[in-house]
Amino acid sequence: MAYFIAKRLVQSVFVMLAVAFLAFSLFRFVGDPITQMTGVETSVADQERLREELGLNDSFALQFARFTGDMLKGDFGFSYRTRQPVAEMIATRIPATLELGVVALLISLFVGIPAGVYTALRPRGFATQAILMATLVGVSIPTFVIGIMLIFFFGVQLGWLPTFGRGGTVKLGGWETSFLTVDGWRALILPAFTLGVYQLTLTMRLVRAEMMEVMRSDYIRFATARGVPMRRLYFRHALANTMVPVITIIGLQFGGVIAFSIVTESVFQWPGMGLLFLESIRFVDIPVMGVYLVVIAFFFVVVNLIVDLLYVAIDPRLRIRDVS
Amino acid sequence: MLAFIKRHEGLWLFTRSPFVMLAAIVAVAIILGAVFAPWIALVNPYDLASFSLMDGLLPPVWEEFGNEKFLLGTDDQGRDMISSILYGARLSLIIGISAMTIATFLGVGLGLVAGYFGGRFDAVIMRIADIQLALPAILTALLIDGIARGILPPDMQQNLRVTVLIVAIALSLWVNFARTARASTFVQMNKEYVQAAVMQGQHPLRVMFVHILPNILGPLLVIMTVDLASAILLEATLSFLGIGLPADSPSLGTLIRIGMQFLLSGEWWILWIPTLFLVALVVSINVLGDFLRDVFNPRLR
Amino acid sequence: MRSTIGKSLLLGGALSLTALSAQAEAFKWASTTDPQTMDPHAVNSAPVLSFLNNIYEGLVRRGRDMSIEPSLATSWEPLGGENGWRFNLRQGVTFQDGSAFTAEDVMFSYERASNEAADVRSWFAPVTQVRVVDEFTIDFVTSAPNPLFPSSIANFMILDKDWATSNDAALPARDAENFATLNVNGTGPFTVATRDPGVKTVLAPHAGWWDEAAHNVTEATFTPIGNAATGLAALLSGEIDFIQPIPLQDVAQVESRDGFKVLEGEETRVIMFGFGHEHDKLLYSSDVTDVNPFTDPRVRLAAAHAIDMASIDRVLFRGKIEAASQLVPAGISGYSEANSDRPEFDPAKAKALLAEAGYPDGFSFGLKCTNDRYINDEALCRAAASMFAAVGLKAELSTGPVRDYWPQLREDDFDMYLLGWSPGTFDMEHPIRFLMHSQDDERKLGSWNFGNYSNARVDELLPMIQQEIDPEARQALVDEVVSITQDEVAYIPLYTQPLIWAAKDNIDLTQRADNFFMLRWVTVN
Repeated sequence: MAYFIAKRLVQSVFVMLAVAFLAFSLFRFVGDPITQMTGVETSVADQERLREELGLNDSFALQFARFTGDMLKGDFGFSYRTRQPVAEMIATRIPATLELGVVALLISLFVGIPAGVYTALRPRGFATQAILMATLVGVSIPTFVIGIMLIFFFGVQLGWLPTFGRGGTVKLGGWETSFLTVDGWRALILPAFTLGVYQLTLTMRLVRAEMMEVMRSDYIRFATARGVPMRRLYFRHALANTMVPVITIIGLQFGGVIAFSIVTESVFQWPGMGLLFLESIRFVDIPVMGVYLVVIAFFFVVVNLIVDLLYVAIDPRLRIRDVS
Repeated sequence: MLAFIKRHEGLWLFTRSPFVMLAAIVAVAIILGAVFAPWIALVNPYDLASFSLMDGLLPPVWEEFGNEKFLLGTDDQGRDMISSILYGARLSLIIGISAMTIATFLGVGLGLVAGYFGGRFDAVIMRIADIQLALPAILTALLIDGIARGILPPDMQQNLRVTVLIVAIALSLWVNFARTARASTFVQMNKEYVQAAVMQGQHPLRVMFVHILPNILGPLLVIMTVDLASAILLEATLSFLGIGLPADSPSLGTLIRIGMQFLLSGEWWILWIPTLFLVALVVSINVLGDFLRDVFNPRLR
Repeated sequence: MRSTIGKSLLLGGALSLTALSAQAEAFKWASTTDPQTMDPHAVNSAPVLSFLNNIYEGLVRRGRDMSIEPSLATSWEPLGGENGWRFNLRQGVTFQDGSAFTAEDVMFSYERASNEAADVRSWFAPVTQVRVVDEFTIDFVTSAPNPLFPSSIANFMILDKDWATSNDAALPARDAENFATLNVNGTGPFTVATRDPGVKTVLAPHAGWWDEAAHNVTEATFTPIGNAATGLAALLSGEIDFIQPIPLQDVAQVESRDGFKVLEGEETRVIMFGFGHEHDKLLYSSDVTDVNPFTDPRVRLAAAHAIDMASIDRVLFRGKIEAASQLVPAGISGYSEANSDRPEFDPAKAKALLAEAGYPDGFSFGLKCTNDRYINDEALCRAAASMFAAVGLKAELSTGPVRDYWPQLREDDFDMYLLGWSPGTFDMEHPIRFLMHSQDDERKLGSWNFGNYSNARVDELLPMIQQEIDPEARQALVDEVVSITQDEVAYIPLYTQPLIWAAKDNIDLTQRADNFFMLRWVTVN
């Protein structure tokens, strides 16, 4: 077990370094930060001086070494645009993105799993066909179109829900949460739903497929024959058996949810990391962009690690195979 | 024999399911329209001299001020909506299909190698897959786009926009193929006939392509359809974020991005007609994908 | 469809009214960009200067009609015996932390703003010396007569010396943040209550402000909303009271809804096409690769005649733009009345001119444009390309975000390009200095004249204009420059960018032509 974890950790560090390198190589190519940092009246000489000060004239290797070195020391640098410490900027945006992602994921689970079970148990029913069709359409509309449609229907036309921002938030230590106010929850609904639609469809289909598979397995047939009550059979035996692949996929999707929240955050002006990232692209704020990519990779690696460990915990056979 | 039954059964299923038939008809119609766009479109949206700002913002023909010449109306540049959509679908499909093809070859190739040889090969390829997964599709595309912009000379960038986009999307999709191919290869490798082929000293390539590949075609075909839909949507999303194709050579995604400006202004057709086309296309492809999944995995029916 | 919108909007309107009466004078507004810093000397960009003008003040300020009026200086006069200006400062002014305002603060702010670390230092290029005469008098000495100097420093904002030095903010932050990046202490009508960069900034009135408040705002909340559709939705759903700007195409819809109004005006920014005057061949042509036809003024004039401004106005801008004849709009000082005609739309003439210049079949070339800088910039370029194509000028259009754009222009990577220019000093001298004078890095002239249009007479006229005190004589010099650049088609001026804001009906505010939004003119009814 210890060997397994150690091996996984080493791999994770390797993945992080690779992402840092890719992230950094991106910097060189997104545009010129200097013209974004200075006004129209700034002379060319002053611009050149600033470029020199920021080390933008140094070689690629030197800049990368400096970037990685600083980051390992815990120094994430300062934003070109706002001059704030990047670590602080990203840290204040993390709660917004995580809360959005978690709620989106929960929506996808609480709607997706029951829908998946239902559609698996009644594969020929009218409701099943309708649900399947609806999710198919849902997954085929680009996220940004869904978001804008929701804003105009529930925000502008009906006036029921806020259309942008986080509404009321409460500070718990360094964590700014939407969960403790009614306004906060109201503001969460539309963006979380927008972000969750795609995940919901995936979860539903996955649960459905697994459930159908399990229902055909011998031991369920055997249990049916033995006269185990149907309800107990569905939820105790069948559903439990579908959980391993479902956990895996959900875990893997979480990284995707966090990254895809870029689009949702842009549509709803949701003040999370994704919005910060998009603004940074617009203003060529290289340090912020780089740290964002590394943080996303970090999330992914951690989630992946947890999924792997859970996997091992649930299914001990994997332990043996992996060690051998 | 097995393949024949599957095909046969699939055909039978096909005729029994009106949804799937409808989806197939829609998909084929849009694809034909896209392929023959240069011959059936009224104007060529790439030829700036073929349309005029004077015709701008005309509504579809059934609305007041509609013009019979432009059945679905015109956009703010005076381009005929039908022509723009046909050419847009053409570009979206070119991008989607090319990206999917590249992803398939790359992913299946790497997956087979990883599954066949295992060990080091497997570890390295799967770690690369992990890195790829750590950078979700949007970020991968941004990255490739940024790098291309940095290393290519500006005049080439314009011509290579589509290629860059294809590569970016392909690179964000290959992992699925690789994982599926690898997993299926593992399973096949344990089968006796494959073991026997390996024992006989057959060349690894031969084993992979003759014995393993045909047996994993089913799941791959399903992924290909689903990924074609994803690729088309991803292109639309990238265009929405402003890093897709320029407005003078619009794909369906770019048309939607442009139409977004008219969401509230009353010119609904500029946004909703291309959106409808995109959704119809993607839904059809997804329905066909589902259908294929059912055909190849009959237990799920 | 429309009637349901109306009904549901009535409902929305009723809801928001009740919400409003609860907090009578709280005011919420949104704009596209967050001011990136609270330091008035660190960045010379419109979002920052506009926002900080609510908090900090200069020696002079601009009124509702852009006229210069006294602010921290009560009066100013030219120095006797040398070039420059004397400013008599207002007495009894306090900063928001309660400390008194004196000439020392002006001196300190000058030193801070003219330091290498300050992005606004170019404002002080003509200044050779600053002298504190007494506690409430200060002299700015300039190298040459400079009649425009007082109006050129309307955005030069004054910091408290003690506050800045004791908080380690004696210089603007270049690499890292400092105290002044996030905190403020000005003399202006508002101060920052809380700031969450990129998310929300709350302003509160400054109780000890020296001027009489014309506003009734008790708390003002600013939210940046980058996505235009989201911003407009926020206004229409009643979550904000005011937004600047809104997209042109949505004006009619906002106007048709109860409870909302649209404020329309002309910005001072003129949109134009520029040429690579100095290039000896075209970079992006598929047929003419050995010469640059745009060096021939007839070809440039042909391009100007190809543009159908009336259609651009009607379709792309919904009749909201004013065609431009020169690089500043009418009403700006120095505008040349004598040269107020622009080349009319005349494709036949354009073709004839091209034939005369030796290109009867036209030629292809590259046109560079931004897609996120000016209103409808990309659509404009597509329309223009289509109009050029109609006379045989086949434009290879390439559009991109502004972050890649200026570097491309600086590297001469264009055949023709789009540019918008807003005269920072609200005088014709500004575009002459930046866009028409030959490039001269050492003297910091022509720094945005990317195509390096060069005319010896124009170069000669610029210093004369800068130093001429007599308005009529000065106008004659300006007229000559405008006439020369029109004859030579140095640029194709297209139109003045419209300025479109939207607000709830119960908000009174003033739309100033520089697109600055001043909270001190807001009343919530």
